[in-house]
Amino acid sequence: MRRASAIEREAEQITTVQDLTSVFESLASTQVAKIKNKVTLSEEFFQLLWKRYSSIRIDPSLRITNRDANGEQAKKVFVIISAEAGLSGDIDQHLIETMQQDLDMNTTDIIVLGSHGANQLAQRNIPYVRFFQVPESDHYIDVSPVIDAILPYSKTIVYYEEYVSLGVQEIKSIDLISSVRSMSEDVDDNVEEDVMTAGNTIFEPSLDEIADQMEVTMMTLALSQTILESSLAQAASRFNAMAVAKKRAGELLNDYMLEFHRAKRSESDGRMREIMVSLKKKRKHAGVNR
Amino acid sequence: MRQPDSTSRLNVIARAPFNVYYEGPAEAVTAVNKVGKFDVLPGHADFFSILNPGEIIIETATNPVSFNVTNGIITVRDDEVYLFVNI
Repeated sequence: MRRASAIEREAEQITTVQDLTSVFESLASTQVAKIKNKVTLSEEFFQLLWKRYSSIRIDPSLRITNRDANGEQAKKVFVIISAEAGLSGDIDQHLIETMQQDLDMNTTDIIVLGSHGANQLAQRNIPYVRFFQVPESDHYIDVSPVIDAILPYSKTIVYYEEYVSLGVQEIKSIDLISSVRSMSEDVDDNVEEDVMTAGNTIFEPSLDEIADQMEVTMMTLALSQTILESSLAQAASRFNAMAVAKKRAGELLNDYMLEFHRAKRSESDGRMREIMVSLKKKRKHAGVNR
Repeated sequence: MRQPDSTSRLNVIARAPFNVYYEGPAEAVTAVNKVGKFDVLPGHADFFSILNPGEIIIETATNPVSFNVTNGIITVRDDEVYLFVNI
C-alpha cells in the first residue's frame, strides 16, 4: 500500500485539476451565453437585410450565384469551420469524419477555418488549399478573405457545427451559393407593394451593382452565421467536455480520499501493532527480570 | 409622388450584425456614398445605396447619434430608413 502522504500530494493535484476544469466550465458557460446573444442579433440583422434584398427585382441569370464556372474553376470547395483551439471535446473530429464521407480529392478542394481543424486534417494526411484563422471579434466577423477564396468555385459546401442545445451539437453542411440563390428565387412576386425597381427607386450607383453587392453581402452573412453557430456549438461542447472532466476529477478525488484514509488507518494500525509488540516485549522482559 | 411633410419623421433602424446603433424616430440621416455626402429627410424618395466608409449622423429630437462605418447599405422607403453597416 502507498504511503498516505504520497496519496495526499496526488489528491492535491487532482483538486487543482478539478478547480481548473470548474473555471473552464464557467468560462464556457459565459461564452455560450455571450455567443447566443450574438446569434440572436445576427439573425435579426439577416432577416431585416433579407427583407430589403428580396424587395429588389433582378434577372436571376445575371447573378453571381448563377455564373458559369469553367476549367479548373469548375471544382467544388469544402469549407470546414472548426475551432481555433482545443479543449472543445471531439466535435471537430466528427466534423472532419463527416466531411471525409463526401470527399473526392479529384474534384474538391478544401479550405479550412480554425487551427484545430487544420491539425485534424494534417493528422489524416488530407491536404487543404487555404487556411484561415477563425475570424471573430466582438463587433463583427470579417469573412471577406474567405468569400474571395470561394467565389471562383462552382460549388461551395460549408461544414459546420450546429448548436441544438447545451447537451447536443450536430454536424451540418450547407451549399452556400445554392442557398443564397434559392433565397433570391423564392421571392414572392405577389407582394408587389414591397417591390423596389429602377422605376420607383433611386439606386446609387446602379441596380446591378447593388444587386451584386447585396448578393455577396448575403453570402458573407450566411457564412458569418455558420461561423457563429459553430462557435456556439464549440463553446457548448467545451462546456460539456469540462463538465465531464470536472465530474471525473471529482470521482478520482473521492477514490484518492478513500485510499488516503485506508492508508492512514493502515499506517496507524501498523504503529499500534508496533506499540503493542514492543509493550508485550517489555512486559515479557520485565516478567523475566522479576 | 409623396410630398415632403414637415411634421413627419423618419423611422430609422441602424444595425451591424452584432450591434444596434439606433432604432427610433429621427429628423434626418447623414451618410456617405460613392457620389458623396448626402442627407435623408422626411419625404425622401425611395432610395437604395451602398455606403462608403465614413461617419453616419442620425439627428434625433434630443442628441444626434453618430458612428463610423467601414461599409454598409442604406435603404429608404416610405420614411423608413434601414442602415445595415459594418457587414
